[in-house]
Amino acid sequence: MKTISVGGLSKEFTLGQRKHQYRMLHQFLVPRGTKPAERKGTRFLALDNVSFDAEPGDVIGIVGRNGAGKSTLLKILARILRPTRGRVELRGRVGSLLEIGAGFHGELTGRENIFLNAAILGMEHREILRKLDEIVDFAEVGQHLDEPVKTYSSGMYLRLAFSVAAHIEPEILLVDEVLAVGDAQFQKKCIHRIEQVGKRGQTVLFVSHNIQSVLRLCSRALLIDQGILKLDGPVQEVAAAYLSTAGRNSGERKYPEGPHAPGDAVVRLRNVRVRSRNGETLPTVELSQELGLEMEFQVEESSLALFPVLAVHNEWGTEILWATDADTEWHGRRRPPGRYRVIAWIPPNFLGAGALTVTAAMHSLVPRTEHFREVDAVGFQAVDTLGTGTARGDFTGYIGALTRPKLEWTVEYDCRHLEQAIRPAPSRGQTV
Amino acid sequence: MTSDFAPLRQQPSARYERTVIDPTGVPLFRKIAEYRRYRTLFVFLALRDITLRYRQTLLGVLWAVLQPLLPMAIFTVVFARVLRPATGGIPYWLFVLAGLAPWTFFASAINMSATTFINNQGLLNKVYFPRAILPGAAVAACLLDWLVTGLFVLALVAWQGYRPTAQWLLLPVIVLLTTVLAMSVGLALASLMAMYRDVKHVLPFLVQLWMFATPIVYPRSLLPERLRWAVGLNPMAGVVEALRSCLFRTPLDWKLLSLSLLAILLIGLAATLLFHRLEADLAEQV
Repeated sequence: MKTISVGGLSKEFTLGQRKHQYRMLHQFLVPRGTKPAERKGTRFLALDNVSFDAEPGDVIGIVGRNGAGKSTLLKILARILRPTRGRVELRGRVGSLLEIGAGFHGELTGRENIFLNAAILGMEHREILRKLDEIVDFAEVGQHLDEPVKTYSSGMYLRLAFSVAAHIEPEILLVDEVLAVGDAQFQKKCIHRIEQVGKRGQTVLFVSHNIQSVLRLCSRALLIDQGILKLDGPVQEVAAAYLSTAGRNSGERKYPEGPHAPGDAVVRLRNVRVRSRNGETLPTVELSQELGLEMEFQVEESSLALFPVLAVHNEWGTEILWATDADTEWHGRRRPPGRYRVIAWIPPNFLGAGALTVTAAMHSLVPRTEHFREVDAVGFQAVDTLGTGTARGDFTGYIGALTRPKLEWTVEYDCRHLEQAIRPAPSRGQTV
Repeated sequence: MTSDFAPLRQQPSARYERTVIDPTGVPLFRKIAEYRRYRTLFVFLALRDITLRYRQTLLGVLWAVLQPLLPMAIFTVVFARVLRPATGGIPYWLFVLAGLAPWTFFASAINMSATTFINNQGLLNKVYFPRAILPGAAVAACLLDWLVTGLFVLALVAWQGYRPTAQWLLLPVIVLLTTVLAMSVGLALASLMAMYRDVKHVLPFLVQLWMFATPIVYPRSLLPERLRWAVGLNPMAGVVEALRSCLFRTPLDWKLLSLSLLAILLIGLAATLLFHRLEADLAEQV
């Protein structure tokens, strides 16, 4: 039996929602079928002819870059958005966790919020009463249960919210990036819970940026790129394809000229790359080596003071570094139309080892606008070597740290047999 | 999955529940069935509104009584002297209060429910539930106030010497009619406001205008004879007049009440259709 079957699903958005609001009343009264054609404005295909099936017990990861259409797919399955074309058939109750703590209100107590939130997620009164103790235990809020949640710490608030979400038992569970919040302990708890859900025979669709948790939770995955279902298969295969797509690990990514590049009428992204001082592209960087994060953009219209931002994320999605051009002559100034190249230099011995990605974004402040934000535009490997120039020195164990600076160390000592203690040191350097 | 995992825990009815999602949306009759399943949410949303309204207030539900009393005092001072309305022997202040009691409920109910879609954008974008629950629960949350005010007015009426009659049996029907009407108007306003924010600015004037179009501060006899029947097209007029006949033991104008009943049905139907057309795109529109 199939619990989910999706056939030829497409979703079109009309951009420029503002105009929409002033639609005339008579347009609202014409039959629905004729409406899309009458609408003016740019249309954008967020999902393009997507088809797949799922069976009970399937835990399916949905991966893809930002804006690929993953969340749109989930929202259509959750019946929040109406598809433009295609058909979905679901068998069983659907629970969606697109956000945890939906409907939470600060003035209400923990207990009141549990009831309200559970009802919003589709639970019935008897079911809530039956699970109340379990939910309270899982949330670990203890005696604060009858206090308003506005007095909760953010950790308690999250635990309570997730606890309710974790106790819905639909046949089909849709989860969107819920795990992106909370500390490591909390995320572990969430992942564990989703694992259990899959084992109970429920079908889970799980959207995440975090390829590690997808690998851990899912046996099968879908890769979505620009609204198209590119790959549907075993999770390892899909993860490999996702990681290798579009220059993710090549150290450079170029964007097409014209309106398809990320950006808007003011500025568009052209190129992102990881480079060395003498201009070569670096897919792999040694930690003890200097590297530059380069972004090229085309300013089309000199209307705003632009803030180019470069950020580095690790494979767990943690943001390690954020930088903008704070001390260049262009900082906070209007740029005349033209092509710009900005490079942020990261000193040697700064980053930790791992598969890192660069995110390029462009902001302006008045009015606060994000012209583009290209998440994980390029990837590169930061690799680790032993030796005197490195922060690791001769230490050979595992280092999980996000940054690994070569710090200045001061050693003070109070030793009885000082001469004996320091005597072997020079000879050690010679043997290595 | 291997068979040694715990079997699926589910209600037998849920096992066969089948949902089809396509561009045409869910047919109206299936949606109506769905509301039954979400009655828990309806109740808790209403309870939330009530709790939030009276938590951290000194007078609590006493406000329900004060709300119609304050305008009553003003109208009595102003109009009783100026208009000298012919209320048929009923003290003017009591006459006004009997009109203001249902009106206060109706006005606050539509004011509350009209903003529910735009105020719950986050929720509409993240969770599915039958959307009309939001304005519906907002109206239900005002019912407690309506009951408290109603009992208070009944007490005053009895104190003034109007003994209960068999016509009092009609009172629950009147409460039901105002509730249905408030839900319909609230649903329509919430839908319209989701598309046109202008509604938000127009609403206060609309409510004010509607109040004066309803015989609350003046008796219906003040109107020209040939227009009197048409007042029934305003369903609140039918409600207010019916309530007064019950309380003050005057003969019930059945023609007026049936006309108002028809108006309520038409408004309800129009609101349902309007909302039904909008619902599937609500998350995008809001």
